[in-house]
Amino acid sequence: MSAGDLGAAALRAGVFLALWGTGAAVYAAWKRDGRALASAKVAAVVVLGLVGLAALSMMFALATHDFSILYVAQNNARETPLFYSIIGLWAALEGSILLWTAILAGATAFVAFRGTAAIPRLGTTAVAVLFAMLTFFLLLVTTPAADPFVRLAFPPDNGAGPNPLLQNHPLMALHPPLLYLGYVLTSVPFAYAIASLILGEGGDRWLVATRRYALVSWALLGVGIVAGAWWSYAVLGWGGYWAWDPVENAAIMPWLTATAYLHSVMVEEKRRLLRTWNLALVVATFSLTILGTFLTRSGVVNSVHSFTQSALGPILLGYLVAILVVSVGLLLWRSGRLQDRGPVGTPLSREAIFLFQNVVFVAATLTVLLGTLYPLIAEAISGAQLSIGGPYFDRVEIPLALALLFLMGIGPQLPWHGASRMTLERQFTVPLVAAAGGAVLALVTGVNGLPAVLTYALGAFVAATVVQEFARGARARGILHGEAPLTAVGNLFRRNGRRYGGYVVHLGIVLVAVAVATSQAGSVDAEKTLAPGETLVIGGYTLRLESLRTVDEAQRSSVVADVLITGHGASEQLHPALVQYPNSAAAVGSPGIGAGLRDDLYTILAAFDQRGFAWATIRVRVIPLVSWLWVGGLVVGIGALIAGLPAPRRRASAVLPVAEASAPAD
Amino acid sequence: MAAKLVRGAIVVAILGLVVTLAFAFRRDPHDIRTGTVGKPAPEVSLDRLDGSGRVALGDLKGKVVVLNFFASWCLPCTEENPALVHVYERYRASDDVVMIGVNYQETRDNGLAYVRRMGMSWVTLADDDGRAALAYGVFGPPETFFIGPDGVIAGRHIGWIDEATLIAGIEAIRPAAAR
Amino acid sequence: MRGRIVAGLALLVIAAALVLALRPHEATAAERVDRITSELRCPVCQGLSVKDSPSETARQMRDLVVQRVGEGKTDAQIEDEFRASYGEWVLLAPPLVSWNGVIWAVPILALVGGVLVALRRMRAAPSDLERPTPRQLAELRERVRAEEAADA
Repeated sequence: MSAGDLGAAALRAGVFLALWGTGAAVYAAWKRDGRALASAKVAAVVVLGLVGLAALSMMFALATHDFSILYVAQNNARETPLFYSIIGLWAALEGSILLWTAILAGATAFVAFRGTAAIPRLGTTAVAVLFAMLTFFLLLVTTPAADPFVRLAFPPDNGAGPNPLLQNHPLMALHPPLLYLGYVLTSVPFAYAIASLILGEGGDRWLVATRRYALVSWALLGVGIVAGAWWSYAVLGWGGYWAWDPVENAAIMPWLTATAYLHSVMVEEKRRLLRTWNLALVVATFSLTILGTFLTRSGVVNSVHSFTQSALGPILLGYLVAILVVSVGLLLWRSGRLQDRGPVGTPLSREAIFLFQNVVFVAATLTVLLGTLYPLIAEAISGAQLSIGGPYFDRVEIPLALALLFLMGIGPQLPWHGASRMTLERQFTVPLVAAAGGAVLALVTGVNGLPAVLTYALGAFVAATVVQEFARGARARGILHGEAPLTAVGNLFRRNGRRYGGYVVHLGIVLVAVAVATSQAGSVDAEKTLAPGETLVIGGYTLRLESLRTVDEAQRSSVVADVLITGHGASEQLHPALVQYPNSAAAVGSPGIGAGLRDDLYTILAAFDQRGFAWATIRVRVIPLVSWLWVGGLVVGIGALIAGLPAPRRRASAVLPVAEASAPAD
Repeated sequence: MAAKLVRGAIVVAILGLVVTLAFAFRRDPHDIRTGTVGKPAPEVSLDRLDGSGRVALGDLKGKVVVLNFFASWCLPCTEENPALVHVYERYRASDDVVMIGVNYQETRDNGLAYVRRMGMSWVTLADDDGRAALAYGVFGPPETFFIGPDGVIAGRHIGWIDEATLIAGIEAIRPAAAR
Repeated sequence: MRGRIVAGLALLVIAAALVLALRPHEATAAERVDRITSELRCPVCQGLSVKDSPSETARQMRDLVVQRVGEGKTDAQIEDEFRASYGEWVLLAPPLVSWNGVIWAVPILALVGGVLVALRRMRAAPSDLERPTPRQLAELRERVRAEEAADA
């Protein structure tokens, strides 16, 4: 039995077990039947084993170049290195849906075991919802439209090899799985929300149960998006990291609504407000991930990420419609039970800022959605073909992003219910001075344009509020417990990780904002055709073309330009190249990047003399501070980790149960 | 009242979204219709690839012009070339139909070598700075334009073209007297 | 009081910086080329602008823009030249014709509408916010005591 047969058989067996699991979980939830629940748990583990086995079989088939499987023949070649063979699991449509299914199976099993003890009925209903979705995906990977194990009667001697862009950089190993994890984990809060609506629970138990899932999926989505931006920067050769490409948009939309949710959830916890709203945000986040999957895999929009057009589109659209009908229907049906008690505080209260923040996030999401789909709408209505890209999104999203930075600065500093003038003065004097410093810094360092200056000012403002919070928290611990400042900060993280981890996330966002603003406003580029030995000067750097050479490897051949860049006290050799893969007509540019804390030097080999290597056209871009974008992404991830780690249990939790970050998510 | 309005808006928005997405299936993302069809052909004047002079497209008014953008590095160009050769031979004797090739984004040497190798004996022109391609709104080779005797672009074909399409395109704009 | 003065001064500095950032200045030729090319869509790419794209076609389009700017053409004239050959498709932000206004109106309406709805749910500031209620005080005392006990 070959790996392909094994994988195919495992998936087919998985369909039946998932159906069984769905039925068992529904029965268990309905009749509160413990034996049925136990059966569903077993089914969940077995399905996870089967799907995992299928994914491993596919990796094995890819690693051993088993071209009798169509997917392997299309996405692998004998020359493909082992590493890129294995990550070929997510290099194309069928494999990536298999990975998706495996993650969903993992989430289902996890919830079945960890989520059904504390609140049995809600948890079991959520497991039933997850099982139903898992069944759909298993059916999907066993239909011809997305079956990864379709066989070839006459296997070719060699496969076509992966898409050149997907075998060019190790980040491909990181970016898709992180995103998929983020996408799929949004199913868990969604399943709980649906379960809560089905059961007609007026309470917030679903929300407490899924808080950590929501945080983790949000963090993975965010880090996955930054990793994707990094991949785009390192591979695509245009010196940018975000193009408002339809599929990038599809990834940012659920992240935006999830961010809104993570904040508005606190309003519900503290003030028992916004119940319907929070459910709607969870539903929107999940629906947007399915919309993203649909956009990527149906071929309706052009994108660097588009998989080839397939019969999958209509099926995924049907799934999306079903999700929307069920969840919106439930929401409309149950919203009467979810009336809020009492008003929100004054416009200068913390919950009010959360509300404004939600409004801005939703407006930002709507903008991305409309901008992505408007070309389709316009063509449907009038037949006109038009484009919506960076200039539109920048014009709308940059002001919204600045508004969010501002709210991020004031929100955490305001008390619940409302603030007094004294509080305002106490909280904002130091940050305002910092903001002035940020604005002056922007002008002094020559960062141009209103958005960039505002970003610096607001970034400094937010950073100062965070530092002020840490300083006050640490000082309080110092006074109360005699702790040294560093120990005190550690204890702040440990005891109130959700709050102080959140501040770290805010710092990461500031880094991202400053990096984006500076790199957008301050990039300079130049292009020149050089003979070896000639130089070009840009932004205080001198670039010298040293030599041109060919490099032949098993799976590709490249023409590499060796360029030496000196300036600002540094000197670095870079190797931009044009790479020719056998399965691609055009050569793929591979940028040579000199990363630095201050500037990145981004070089591209645009053209070269094909006869005698007598000249090469080099394009170079000096991009300030762009490295801090990836650092910011990492800081966001670390902050989320601190916020997500369980706090030590303590006796005080009986006093203010709602305020504790230590309520278990499972 | 407001709540009802909000609900209605949500339902309408979601319906609109689904209808749009469903409609999008009927659309081919590679079919880009915008461009210069129906407008007077841009007047460009280009060197012949073999260096034997210059051709101004404006001078060809009164004739049917088949303008074909090609490149040696473009695979579909090689595939459609036999059709171009056949059609060229067919109209060679009739002086009211002219076929012109415009070399797209490559050096004159490479273009000329390709022209000789592929037996392209019609007029072929160099477009070194790409201005002709930009003026005609070319997305990528091969692309074929049909220009009527009135100097207006009557039709455009993106991608690989066959003999029947070429002949139909020519005959549709040829004055009846010339047929 | 001192805090208020410092905050006021900081606000003044920020305002001055923003005014400085907004000061009008004549765009150089290179800035105009950057601006125009960032609005044009590269025909052979997946949604990249002519400014960003490393492709040959984008390079030729940039060269054409540089030449036209040198000839003294206005931004609108140059964009129109590309629109004539590639249609509306070539502009990355669609012009305000027919229904296109929707894409600008929706974000603004969503924002304004959302803020109005949010404001309606808030209450005016009560005057006695300064003083915590006896119950809140008791809770806080209890919490501090419990934390100290936990650490001891």
